[in-house]
Amino acid sequence: MDKCNILVCDDDKAIVDALEIYLKQEGYGVVKAYTGKQALKALEEEKVHLVILDVMMPELDGLSATIKIREELNIPIIILSAKSEDTDKIIGLNFGADDYVTKPFNPLELIARVKSQLRRYTQLGGTERKSGVLKNGGLELDIEAKELKVDGELVKLTATEYGIVLFLMKNAGKVFSIDQIYENVWKEPAYLSENTVAVHIRRIREKIEINPKEPKYLKVVWGIGYKMEKY
Amino acid sequence: MDIKWKNIKRSNTTKGLAFFLAWLSFLVVCGSWGFLIKNEQIVTCDNYYSYPKYISNFSSHVASVVDYYIWLKDVRSEEDIIENEIDWYVITEKSVALYNATQTISNILNFGYYIKDTQTGEVITNVEDEDPIEFLRKQRTYVYINNRNVYNQYLYRANYIMERMKGTNYEVYAAVIEPLKPGDEFYDDYIRYTRVKSLMIFVIISLIVCFILLIGCLAYLFSGTWKGIWQEQKEESRPVPFIDKVYLDIHTIGSIILILICGFAFANTLETYYDNEPRSILFLAVTLSVAFITWLSYSLSLIRRRKRGNLSNSILFIIILRIFLRKIKDFIKQCFNGKIFRVWILILLPFYVAINCMLFVIFVDAYVNYYYSSAAKISGFLLVFINVLVFAFIARALRSLATIMEGTKQISQGNIDYEMNSDKMSPVFAAFAENICNIRGGLKNAVEEAIKGERMKTELITNVSHDLKTPLTSIINYVDLLKREEVGSDKAKEYIGILEEKSARLKVLIEDLVEASKASSGNLAVNLEKVDLHELILQAHGEYQEKMEKAGLDIRISAEEKNIFVLADGKHMWRIIENLMSNVLKYSLRGTRVYINISKNQSDGVLVVKNISAIPLNIPAERLTERFVRGDESRTTEGSGLGLSIAQSLTALQRGKFDIQIDGDLFKVTVEMPLWRDSK
Repeated sequence: MDKCNILVCDDDKAIVDALEIYLKQEGYGVVKAYTGKQALKALEEEKVHLVILDVMMPELDGLSATIKIREELNIPIIILSAKSEDTDKIIGLNFGADDYVTKPFNPLELIARVKSQLRRYTQLGGTERKSGVLKNGGLELDIEAKELKVDGELVKLTATEYGIVLFLMKNAGKVFSIDQIYENVWKEPAYLSENTVAVHIRRIREKIEINPKEPKYLKVVWGIGYKMEKY
Repeated sequence: MDIKWKNIKRSNTTKGLAFFLAWLSFLVVCGSWGFLIKNEQIVTCDNYYSYPKYISNFSSHVASVVDYYIWLKDVRSEEDIIENEIDWYVITEKSVALYNATQTISNILNFGYYIKDTQTGEVITNVEDEDPIEFLRKQRTYVYINNRNVYNQYLYRANYIMERMKGTNYEVYAAVIEPLKPGDEFYDDYIRYTRVKSLMIFVIISLIVCFILLIGCLAYLFSGTWKGIWQEQKEESRPVPFIDKVYLDIHTIGSIILILICGFAFANTLETYYDNEPRSILFLAVTLSVAFITWLSYSLSLIRRRKRGNLSNSILFIIILRIFLRKIKDFIKQCFNGKIFRVWILILLPFYVAINCMLFVIFVDAYVNYYYSSAAKISGFLLVFINVLVFAFIARALRSLATIMEGTKQISQGNIDYEMNSDKMSPVFAAFAENICNIRGGLKNAVEEAIKGERMKTELITNVSHDLKTPLTSIINYVDLLKREEVGSDKAKEYIGILEEKSARLKVLIEDLVEASKASSGNLAVNLEKVDLHELILQAHGEYQEKMEKAGLDIRISAEEKNIFVLADGKHMWRIIENLMSNVLKYSLRGTRVYINISKNQSDGVLVVKNISAIPLNIPAERLTERFVRGDESRTTEGSGLGLSIAQSLTALQRGKFDIQIDGDLFKVTVEMPLWRDSK
């Protein structure tokens, strides 16, 4: 596969330069833009595999640019914004972005997200559905091999963790309390105030999520239970 | 010497002594005066034989002798009288005279008489002398009576005796024989007379002396009180005596009543007073004393009041009168300046009453005198018409008032968008209603301004934080890049480490600042739902278990029940617990236990977190929830100082209660959230 090109667009030159350094270290090609218009122009001129867009930019803001890009291209778009409200995130994702990263961001986290998006875009996009495999977004659970892949990368799980992931993936989108998970995975009634389940789930999250504090797949519904987000 | 006298004058002992002396001399004056009044007859006569009591006694003796031996010489018993006489009046008169005469004659001791019938020469006498007439003549009180004349100045009832003697041939010689022998009234009276005469001079002297003493004492007391000589040393600090605080008129009336009671008791006792009975004298003395002391204390009090200021200020009647007058004045003033009634109502009201009365009189007069006359019909119609009109007018005004009252009630309950229906407003209340509307408008503006201001504040903080975040991103990124570069010295690496740590801290601070601002201004969406506190605690424990173990803390969770459902927003609840947990992590002493307890009371689910602080908490619990306040004043530890403030604001936002208690090093946070009710 060719070297992937990434368009980085932010009105703050320092941020663009920093990102260029990080991305080049990872072996990606970087196209720089400083306004929404420049970004659109760069997309026309060069082949780009992923876009990192700031929201608040002169000339054309990030959200409008996202809409314009989505009219023609299917490449992953990661929005980079200082706005950290839930509503901002929801608007960004609804406008067609694939991920939303708030400033100030952890460079490593951003790189991980870029990698994740690229893998899905370049490798998994066309793979056909196999039997015995549960799929949810970038998660792939091979029931026969008892293997979990996140964006194509194998994740090592313990037997209990596997049981929990299997149960939640089978019932993706539903919320289960600690007791329910315990009863269904351990196959025995829950009597004690056990936090085993909570600890396991945190560990799973650390393994499968890029930022365990803002999980994409295995979400905590506080005071109610846990659920596997359905994609 | 002079100073000494002054000191004596000023001492309280002297005052008490003066009071006592005044009382004593008053009693003596009264007693002496009473003695003189009682013995007035004795005091005023020159010798015993001019003493009226003696004269009357002597006269009655003479009369008895005349009655017995001359007028009634033929009868010696009541039966004799009844036999000889027919007239009941005469019978009664004679019987009484006989009885009295018999009594007197049987007790004669110091009285001598000599009765001679000039016709028969018969003699009746009790004088045992050779020449009874001469003997009697020698006595100082000698009296000679014949049928024409009485020869003596010391004789009462001379006319009575002459009546008896008329038409008889008797001569009577009589006298009190001296020296007096003990045993009869003449002797007793004489003894008494001499005793009183000998005492009299002392009594008069003591009366005069005591009177002067009394006047002196009173003068001293009054002038002393007026000058306040006993209070000179500490006039200001001396409290006003209780008796002076009593309203003057009540004090006056009370004193007068008391004195009157004493006076009546005194007079009553005096009337029934015969002998020198000690009990009566004591009672008289007591009543006099009470009256005198009452009067004296009243007078002194009056002087003190006068000295202290205007007397009329302490007269209850005047005070009440003043208040009453002021109220009336205010009322009248308000009546006429339109505060209670408008002026035109005041003018119209009498007019209305007059018309009503007039019409009524005309109607009744016309109806009684000329049945169904047109005058009666017209006046009756007018009467009804005018009253219905006035009634309708008042009803309309009252309805307007009710509308206004409803409006103000709505506004006071916070419904500032309430519009009053001003179409049917009575002209009387139109201006009033308009003012209320204006108040409402002002209130509405103020509330909107306040909301707008709060929103702007939050927006400002949010915007500022956005502008801060962009450069911060670059700082974090380049610090990270710098870290990857080959840096020569170890010091440079250390500096980079500090930069990294501080930039991360800045990030946390900015995020917390935005959150705190939103939470405290209520600019945050709250989705209240059914949340299980127990589940939440287990989840939180799951999240924090490893960090706690790393920090050497032992978490102990205890729960009363497995499911405690509260009405809350799960995300905000998590944020609260997260803040509490990170607080515990940051500030707990290593190797201690952290207790998390959940329970419920009647209305709330209760979450309690207890830990042992690593550093002494020299700060009141309330201050910990203020923004940017941390347990360590030096602020060397990590953390923004906003955690507890955010937790408190979020709790309040979900209608819960947040409480911090500090007991030595024990740090205890209580979060109470309203219980979930199925009916909701």
